Amino acid sequence: MNALSRRRLLGAAGTVATMMTFAPEAWAQGKDRLVIGMSLEPPVLDPTRNAAAAIREVTCPSIFESLGRIDRNGAIGPGLAESWSISEDGKEYLFKLRRGVKFHDGESLDASVVKFSLDRLFAADSTNPAKSLYTDIDKVEAVDPSTVKVTLKSPNSFLLYSLSLGDAGIMHPKTAPTNDKNPIGTGPFVFKERKEGDSITLAKSPTWRDPGSIKLNTVIFKIVKDPSAQVSALLAGDVDAFPGFQAPELVDRLRKDPRFVVVVGTTEGEVLLATNNGKKPFDNPKVRQAIAHAINRDELISAESGFGVPIGSHFAPHNKAYIDLTKTYPLDIPKAKTLLAEAGYPNGFEASLKLPPVGYAQRAGEVIASQLGKIGIKIAISQLQWPQWLSEVFKERNYDLTIVAHTEANDLDRYARDGYYWAYNSPEFKAKWREVVAATDFAKRDELLKDCQRIIARDAVNGFLFQLAKIGVWRKDLVGMWENSPTPQVDLTGVYWKA
Amino acid sequence: MIEFLSRRLAAALVTLALATVVVFAVVEVLPGDPALIMLGTDARPDTLAAIRAQYGFDQPLLTRYLQWIGGLLTFDLGNSHAYGTSVGKLIGDRLQVTLPLGALALSWALLVAIPLGVFAAWKHGGPGDWGVMGLTQIGISIPNFWFGIVLVLLFAVTWQFFPAGGFPGWRQDTLGSVYALILPALSLSLGEIAILTRVTRSAMLDTLREDYIRTARAKGVPERTVLFEHALRNALIPVMTVTGLIAGFLIAGAVIIESVFRLPGVGQLVYDSINNRDLIVIKNVVILFTILVLAVNLLVDLAYALLDPRPRISA
Repeated sequence: MNALSRRRLLGAAGTVATMMTFAPEAWAQGKDRLVIGMSLEPPVLDPTRNAAAAIREVTCPSIFESLGRIDRNGAIGPGLAESWSISEDGKEYLFKLRRGVKFHDGESLDASVVKFSLDRLFAADSTNPAKSLYTDIDKVEAVDPSTVKVTLKSPNSFLLYSLSLGDAGIMHPKTAPTNDKNPIGTGPFVFKERKEGDSITLAKSPTWRDPGSIKLNTVIFKIVKDPSAQVSALLAGDVDAFPGFQAPELVDRLRKDPRFVVVVGTTEGEVLLATNNGKKPFDNPKVRQAIAHAINRDELISAESGFGVPIGSHFAPHNKAYIDLTKTYPLDIPKAKTLLAEAGYPNGFEASLKLPPVGYAQRAGEVIASQLGKIGIKIAISQLQWPQWLSEVFKERNYDLTIVAHTEANDLDRYARDGYYWAYNSPEFKAKWREVVAATDFAKRDELLKDCQRIIARDAVNGFLFQLAKIGVWRKDLVGMWENSPTPQVDLTGVYWKA
Repeated sequence: MIEFLSRRLAAALVTLALATVVVFAVVEVLPGDPALIMLGTDARPDTLAAIRAQYGFDQPLLTRYLQWIGGLLTFDLGNSHAYGTSVGKLIGDRLQVTLPLGALALSWALLVAIPLGVFAAWKHGGPGDWGVMGLTQIGISIPNFWFGIVLVLLFAVTWQFFPAGGFPGWRQDTLGSVYALILPALSLSLGEIAILTRVTRSAMLDTLREDYIRTARAKGVPERTVLFEHALRNALIPVMTVTGLIAGFLIAGAVIIESVFRLPGVGQLVYDSINNRDLIVIKNVVILFTILVLAVNLLVDLAYALLDPRPRISA
């Protein structure tokens, strides 16, 4: 389906949504079975092989668990490690493992299994998509069957977080090679069946450590890509919940339906007008500042049907180290024009805006083009498929502007990377980031993170637009679903149907 | 007859061989790096290189082409990069949805369109003809995905006679699977019914003007026999030609209809594989479609020969 017909489909869905009538309650839901709708299909089912967020949604922490566990507010608690201690210099981590943990195939978890899993992360031949998060690890040792020591080359204040991600899921050496098709972990749910292109079925694990917290016997992840099909799947009762509903323009319809609740929460996704700082005229700070002065975030958020929170830097507003920098370059068209003139472009210039095929980028793209048009920047929009976007924009840096959400937590480090697609190169930021990574005191780290936000806001590296909202839609009698999305996981422990 | 058929078969094989070259070339020039798609934006250059080596993306073009053709000839289609499963199984599973869907849509289209076309030709110029022509105009104008959404809203959401989408699987629920295909087949066949009705009508009109029809009528042959035995048999030749072409369109239409009805069919597989740059799956599916279309056209040629002896004699 090309972008045009996708748009036509969306248009049709809008028309249809206005003609909807409510269906009677014709079908009864078994109280221990949950059908979750997903917009994207996971390719393989192994989070250590492929970066797709959909893999983590299905398998983490339901099938694969990590040493730490990320909770619904983004805090890290005990996972397969029941406790840990960190040495004074931040270079030695001692993890105490839970005892009696079994894999779904009956194998036991011990320190050697954990060592195997962690060694795979940073090994020379590692093909883990997040390998760069773990390259500070020097060595991993099994001290005794339930103790693992991780030694770092240099302190890394994000290590615990990184070791709690699905990318660091603990796998058994026997089943690691086949986890892509038949995932076997230690989590609360066991993989049952996959129908490619349709669904993935999990069942309650009989051996999990806290059986009381699992109220669901069967969980089915159903792939429904088309937004109008998502709505009809909900209305017809084929799907109980969409934790990440993708069509904000259709939400009002569902809000009026007494069978559903719409829950709006936070995500880690900052939507950026990503800018090629390495290319003329965007290498000129005045040009980037002019763009920042021309951005009207309220307009952009209303194009998202009101979902989203304005941001002035690359940082999530719900994070405790967040500072509001939206006033760094307030909306000011005359000022923007003056800055452009000072930069040598009194009559503006032409620029390309390459958009990936996602709803928020499509919606924001038109708005940005009109806002920049007001200061004389003539935008030519082109639509790219994801693979094209990855090669052309991300890898080859052949672009002026693009709109994309950066959805990882703690992702300010991208501003310190050499050769990243924004081509931002600031010795000041790099030095500050090194301090952040090396910080052993978390209060101090939060202060440093604030400095980092200020530097990139001041440098107007990218246009900072808004924080994506997480729109969850599910049946009213379903309890315990996560409101927020601190990491792309769907934790189903504690989820149940109200009697 | 045998010579006629073997000529056709040889032509089909040459077409197929050319198609493999074209398909391979087109898939290889698609922009996008499969390794980058797998590992995402945080991947390090060394891990990307390792993945390329592991899947053979770094091999020369000719090597990869020959590997693919070798696989095709030995019925080993390789493994999907995205799913990790065998391409043969992946396509086989999906064909269980798309083939019945296409067959259902096509038989439904023929079942409705041929009598309608005959009726319109019989009532040529009258209100019945105008009525049928008006309906076909509407049928051609309505996009089938829109019709599909309307069918879902009426028959699945409002009245709940049919599921809104999804496919239970033949083994798990045979009756449910047939049920799941009815609305998609209806929406898929809408445009085809319209086209086939028009083709049948005009072919019938041509045939009804022939001398032998006048002779038959003059002899007092009943009108039903004139229409369905004398006229329709000859009128079916152009109808068959168009049916062969439509089979190709049905496959293209299935991509969108499968998305509206959430059917895990081949159309969705192609769409996903293009998005994942799962090159080996795209190549094999497109070649499979080519074989299907060639086979349908061979069957159409065969049907010509059965309906009308002239092609096999002149061959």
